[in-house]
Amino acid sequence: MEKGKLGALLEQPPRSVSCNGYALEEKPQQQPPPPPPAAPSRALERPRYSQGTSARCLDSWREERTRSEEDNEMNLPSLAAAYTTILRSLGEDPERQGLLRTPWRAATAMQFFTKGYQETISDVLNDAIFDEDHDEMVIVKDIDMFSLCEHHLVPFVGKVHIGYLPNKQVLGLSKLARIVEIYSRRLQVQERLTKQIAVAITEALQPTGVGVVIEATHMCMVMRGVQKMNSKTVTSTMLGVFREDAKTREEFLTLIRS
Amino acid sequence: MACRAAGEELPRPCCNGYSELAPADMRRALVQERPEKHSREEAAEGGELPALEDAYLSILEGLGENPARQGLLQTPRRAAKAMQFLTKGYQETIEDILNDAIFDEDHNEMVIVKDIDMFSLCEHHLVPFFGKVHIGYLPIKKVVGLSKLARIVEIFSRRLQVQERLTRQIALAITEALKPAGVAVIVEASHMCMVMRGVQKMNSRTVTSTMLGVLREDPKTREEFLTLIKN
Repeated sequence: MEKGKLGALLEQPPRSVSCNGYALEEKPQQQPPPPPPAAPSRALERPRYSQGTSARCLDSWREERTRSEEDNEMNLPSLAAAYTTILRSLGEDPERQGLLRTPWRAATAMQFFTKGYQETISDVLNDAIFDEDHDEMVIVKDIDMFSLCEHHLVPFVGKVHIGYLPNKQVLGLSKLARIVEIYSRRLQVQERLTKQIAVAITEALQPTGVGVVIEATHMCMVMRGVQKMNSKTVTSTMLGVFREDAKTREEFLTLIRS
Repeated sequence: MACRAAGEELPRPCCNGYSELAPADMRRALVQERPEKHSREEAAEGGELPALEDAYLSILEGLGENPARQGLLQTPRRAAKAMQFLTKGYQETIEDILNDAIFDEDHNEMVIVKDIDMFSLCEHHLVPFFGKVHIGYLPIKKVVGLSKLARIVEIFSRRLQVQERLTRQIALAITEALKPAGVAVIVEASHMCMVMRGVQKMNSRTVTSTMLGVLREDPKTREEFLTLIKN
């Protein structure tokens, strides 16, 4: 990375998304970013936190970041160059037969794993909301989910269970899985992923209640670090009547367990 | 019995029947593309960390993310260290870990260590594949400390790998160290490059095996090994 690039990064006005599409409370005013460090700018000398640059979060799930296919094509060479550097820095020989095309394959794979940035909820949901006089619980469970931990860039995989109580409007069932795909194919934190899915369904359908449970295995805990093979992380978001009424929540949790 | 590797008649078997590989080929297959010692040591000391961090920073930007947001601030460093950990097999050698743990035992029955958890990185997509390794060998007067079999798996799996090569390297390492009558290694793994992308087949598993020596030549011995690892 050339000198001054990190400084330039900090000087730029923050991009529209700083928290992956999930809204925290709106900050009243945007603070100017801190001045860049005087030392040569390398990743190591980056300030530990920088409140100015991450101050402005989104105010709605609807304001998605859209990456396009053209962006993908444009960024592919630099991604591939980064992967070549990684291979060399690990002590491998990027010229050997098995690794010749690896930078391109790895870059394309990484773009696939983050394709959620190219999609918006409105694209996926536009036509699949139907008026139905149904007010019983609808559950879609055991949706396979694959995401990337934003802290280590290592996969975490698991299952998502979604339930909602419709209020005159139901959603095409596969659209629930597509919502999971949009938010999981990003650099994520499991807690945020769960909430984003729940909020997206709430905003689309205005149901009486939504429950989302995610049970996942984090490779960053299994393959490295503490190395606990069998650990699973469970997060849940309950909104509306699922949060307020214990019996509804209990019905949902029982049905997803069986 | 004539030995192709030694090139002459010897009073007793010299390579226990592993005549399909000359010693030079065996060593090459074993060592693979191990980097020079100085770059290994430099990597171990963290000399390459800034370059890795910069590379990961470019990757975050190339994906359209904002590397200055709170969750991603330290990610280049964490990802770089994680990648170094996942490829730490390049810094280790078989001699380091096996030096003292080979014992003379008058035992010539099969020894099996099964269900060894294995985590590796596919060298084609840099995406994990993981599963279980089952190892069996028939010792001739020399046995190895059991955890050393798992350490051999660790050395070869913590690299950029191809499952076929991983299996063979484990088998050849045990052969070189112990000169047993036979070695069998079976690796059963799930490849995230097939599960998370591409064909996206969730439940597929890949099984590779290497049978050397008497475990290759004698079907009954092989069958005993395969039965014992099944239960």
